[in-house]
Amino acid sequence: MSDLDQQIEQLKRCEPLKESEVKALCLKAMEILVEESNVQRVDAPVTICGDIHGQFYDMKELFKVGGDCPKTNYLFLGDFVDRGFYSVETFLLLLALKVRYPDRITLIRGNHESRQITQVYGFYDECLRKYGSVNVWRYCTDIFDYLSLSALVENKIFCVHGGLSPAIMTLDQIRTIDRKQEVPHDGAMCDLLWSDPEDIVDGWGLSPRGAGFLFGGSVVTSFNHSNNIDYICRAHQLVMEGYKWMFNNQIVTVWSAPNYCYRCGNVAAILELDENLNKEFRVFDAAPQESRGAPAKKPAPDYFL
Amino acid sequence: MGAPEKSQSNTNAMQRVKVYHLNEDGKWDDRGTGHVSIDYVERSEELSLCVIDEEDNETLLVHPINSDDIYRKQEDTIISWRDPERSTELALSFQETAGCSYVWDQICTMQRNLHFSSLNSETYHSLNSELRELPAVELTTLPLILKIVTESGITDQMRLTELILKDHGFFRNLMGVFKICEDLENVDGLHMIFNIVKGIILLNSSQILEKIFGDELIMEIIGCLEYDPGVPHSQHHRNFLKEHVVFKEAIPIKDPLVLSKIHQTYRIGYLKDVVLARVLDDAIVANLNSVIHANNAIVVSLLKDDSTFIQELFARLRSPSTSMESKKNLVYFLHEFCSLSKSLQVVQQLRLFRDLINEGIFHVIEEVLQIPDQKLVLTGTDILILFLTQDPNLLRSYVVRTEGTPLLGLLVKGMMEDFGDKMHCQFLEIIRTLLDANALSGGAQQRANIMDIFYEKHLPELVDVITASCPEKSGNTSDGASKRIRTKPEVLLNICELLCFCIMQDSSRTKCSFLQNNVTEKVLHLTRRKEKYLVVAAIRFVRTLLSVHDEYVQNYVVKNDMLKPIIDVFIANGNRYNLLNSAVLDLLEHIRKGNATLLLKYIVDTFWDQLAPFQCLTSIQAFKVKYEQCLESAGPKSTADAVDPRRRVDERALDKEEEDYFNEDSDEEDSASASNTQKEKPACSNTQEEQPKPLANGVAASPASSSPRSGGLVDYEDDEDDEDYKPPPRKQQVASEEEEGELLGLKRKSPCVEREQEPSKKPRMGKNSKRENVFAVLCSTLSHAVLTGKKNQGTTGSAIRSIVAKEPENSRSSEENNSSSSDDENHKDDGVSSSEHGTSDNGKLNGEESLVVAPKSSPEMAVNGS
Repeated sequence: MSDLDQQIEQLKRCEPLKESEVKALCLKAMEILVEESNVQRVDAPVTICGDIHGQFYDMKELFKVGGDCPKTNYLFLGDFVDRGFYSVETFLLLLALKVRYPDRITLIRGNHESRQITQVYGFYDECLRKYGSVNVWRYCTDIFDYLSLSALVENKIFCVHGGLSPAIMTLDQIRTIDRKQEVPHDGAMCDLLWSDPEDIVDGWGLSPRGAGFLFGGSVVTSFNHSNNIDYICRAHQLVMEGYKWMFNNQIVTVWSAPNYCYRCGNVAAILELDENLNKEFRVFDAAPQESRGAPAKKPAPDYFL
Repeated sequence: MGAPEKSQSNTNAMQRVKVYHLNEDGKWDDRGTGHVSIDYVERSEELSLCVIDEEDNETLLVHPINSDDIYRKQEDTIISWRDPERSTELALSFQETAGCSYVWDQICTMQRNLHFSSLNSETYHSLNSELRELPAVELTTLPLILKIVTESGITDQMRLTELILKDHGFFRNLMGVFKICEDLENVDGLHMIFNIVKGIILLNSSQILEKIFGDELIMEIIGCLEYDPGVPHSQHHRNFLKEHVVFKEAIPIKDPLVLSKIHQTYRIGYLKDVVLARVLDDAIVANLNSVIHANNAIVVSLLKDDSTFIQELFARLRSPSTSMESKKNLVYFLHEFCSLSKSLQVVQQLRLFRDLINEGIFHVIEEVLQIPDQKLVLTGTDILILFLTQDPNLLRSYVVRTEGTPLLGLLVKGMMEDFGDKMHCQFLEIIRTLLDANALSGGAQQRANIMDIFYEKHLPELVDVITASCPEKSGNTSDGASKRIRTKPEVLLNICELLCFCIMQDSSRTKCSFLQNNVTEKVLHLTRRKEKYLVVAAIRFVRTLLSVHDEYVQNYVVKNDMLKPIIDVFIANGNRYNLLNSAVLDLLEHIRKGNATLLLKYIVDTFWDQLAPFQCLTSIQAFKVKYEQCLESAGPKSTADAVDPRRRVDERALDKEEEDYFNEDSDEEDSASASNTQKEKPACSNTQEEQPKPLANGVAASPASSSPRSGGLVDYEDDEDDEDYKPPPRKQQVASEEEEGELLGLKRKSPCVEREQEPSKKPRMGKNSKRENVFAVLCSTLSHAVLTGKKNQGTTGSAIRSIVAKEPENSRSSEENNSSSSDDENHKDDGVSSSEHGTSDNGKLNGEESLVVAPKSSPEMAVNGS
């Protein structure tokens, strides 16, 4: 068993890696991710997953429902970290799988894969708590910068974390973004990660989030038409049923964090696409309490104070 | 027993009620005014509502709480019911709504308990009757105690807490039973005790916690918690704490209070993070955190006020006779000490840090950084980061005041060093913070001084590391021949990042320094490395440099043919759509939108042969179009520009050999550069020849240099743009924004829109002003977050603030969107939308979610409690 396989096993038990292992993993991941495109091509069959938000045990439920990687080909739409209690383990497991099976799992960036956001919503504090320093946070956030911005399944399904941008009419325009940067406060890259579809909006609207835009059905229709895609698949918004179609099945939201924040009471979903792009949504609940193992965090065995 | 009395007096007004009785005429008789309570009535085992007359202390009403649903609450101040035994209607009218809702909640809770108890009424009687005192703790009474602990309602919990505290022998007896059970391997007993102890901890009473965290009890309490019935194997927490945990004393601590607090803190932390991590709720975690926090503050402040202790600490740190081993321990101790001082109030912490500085802590660290022990060195940097987090100027003034000291040099050296598999990003972080102009406090002068020292002494060494670790020439990277000093790629990445950071901090100084020292050229050596992320880092460096929008820089780049290596790697990368590809396209887009004529001409004239095969890419195509427009518009002004290209060409001639090497496939190019002075012309004619093939959409039909505007794509450009045209430096900032969306027929920045009235362009919404508003509103709430929060990670304070501002909206809007979504959502939405009134369960969620605005209140923060 290789080191990496062992690390994956360890992470599957929700035990975080050592700093040195994180460092090595991140460097390997960097080499792989730098070769990916801003619109990463993905082949079907593939299973598409939405936000995870550090809910490690619920992600294990996800793998139970969807099958293990690499047997199942996965596409995660970002927001791996923050809010849940196990952002470190969640992201590192996904990253380790990415390094181990680069062609069987695709990770794209969500708005929470950002230095600024993670300092407020938990990932930063979790790293500090679990490692005693923020070095792991620094390495992970550096890796965030390399994550792809979107994916395209069989040229037919455009997948992105947030939504569309008024600066992006064609997929080709995403190409000219040098994505290796902190998520900017505006512009195409920001919008892709922050925007939301909205029923009542005709065209583009201001987003109450303060970043990205709201976009209406007509925008989606023309985008899908001009890029010759069937529909858009995105995450970014809690939907109580786990998934939700909008605008006459032109865009679907997939949400994969059941009982979000451990108290929203929602179910989660993943979207399974077979080789002919037939869709099946698999809905699942939060992991039962007893399957949540004790976190393996042991304090340093010696102390002065 | 002071507590209940106090609460009595506090709630006096809350308890004040009038008792009414419905008479036969259907009218309500006032039976008197008194104070209501819920209590056990003598000789009864049932809880009852009692009202005692406020004047004569007569009992006005005794009513055993009924488990049936007979109670009604009216108008927030009245509770009424029909007494089933006496068949009468009764009502309590409360003076205060708070009192009414309190009693109402009590009744509901008790009804739930009654309901539950009636399911197994056998134990019910014993349970409630025993609540007046706890049963003696014995093996046989464990089930009963467990029942009391786990099934007591909220009212009973207060009483239970009281009883446990009153019964001095309770824990001693419980631990006695635990020992017996453990000796007898009585698993059921052990499981019960686990749940009893767990239940008692979950009562979250500070007094009980204080008791069980005491030195006498804590280990046995932790022993009890080894037998979790939910976990198949018992845990070995005591063993871990006794055998594996080592309390180290770098300097012997004599004060027993300090010692006791230190041990207690560790054990509470262990209990919280390991033993009970699964079962604790937010409230108790917060409580435990505050105990830890308070303990830390006590320990640190007692030690810091012990002047002999601090003096001894530093005396030993400085003494040459101290062994390396104990020196290490002293440094590790120092780190924990500084780290725990976060528990002090900010003012106190600052005072402590000043004291430590006066004792010479920075000098100590300077020494530490020179000890060949990487773990120790990194601990030294961690201490520095703690000081920087408190106030960067503390360290800045040290670096400036004692300019001869090697600290800055040591940090730079650390940054270049290979730390194996250890993380050493702290060095970059420290240097960046020292140089950061956006640090919250002042210290501009000190920062400038450090900048001087850094540029003069250290920048060259950093750049040399790059050149020393890159192959002489690109292309033969895989050969063993190109083996150079093996610098780890992450070190090079860090250097490159620091250089970019310098440009952003102080573009004019950096510009001069970088250009004088050929920094750009040297950084571009990275394009010869095989690690693609290093190549991309070099491209980004150039992109950052060009973002300065400075004619001088542009001249320099052109003169030295700086973009050649970048174009070369772009070409070599071929059609692969990866980060390298995007980074170069981004650079070209930046140049195009910036209207940097000089660069536009340079690139097309020099590299078009290579770039032409990539015309299928929109941005390459647009680049060429832009070039053609520039040629035309710049025509009359060419005298000004002409100087530079010629100079460039001269320069280039010197490099011809090298250029030939890289341009083997481009004969025209070579011949062009051979005929130096005519460079400009042949290049143009080359592009003309190339054009017809790839550009099939109309542009091709028109000779590029003569009338580019007749082409189809040219429609995107507006007239004013050309009339507006000025040499690059004056216009760029605006232009780059104006043209951002030109191919889309959209304008992003509203302020620029009015200058361009072309009908084909939809006006943009006022995105800027929108953002500003949102931010302005939120920033005030959020400044708190930033201050309490995570300090500057080399990013600007305002940047953090503004992004932070977005997220609270996130949670809210996700709910709003949720509730305003399509019909099939609506039944779920009820809960969500009604939650705005805070009535449903979801209301609680919503409330908390919106509380996220002040991050301390977010769930994670509550758990962390830091």
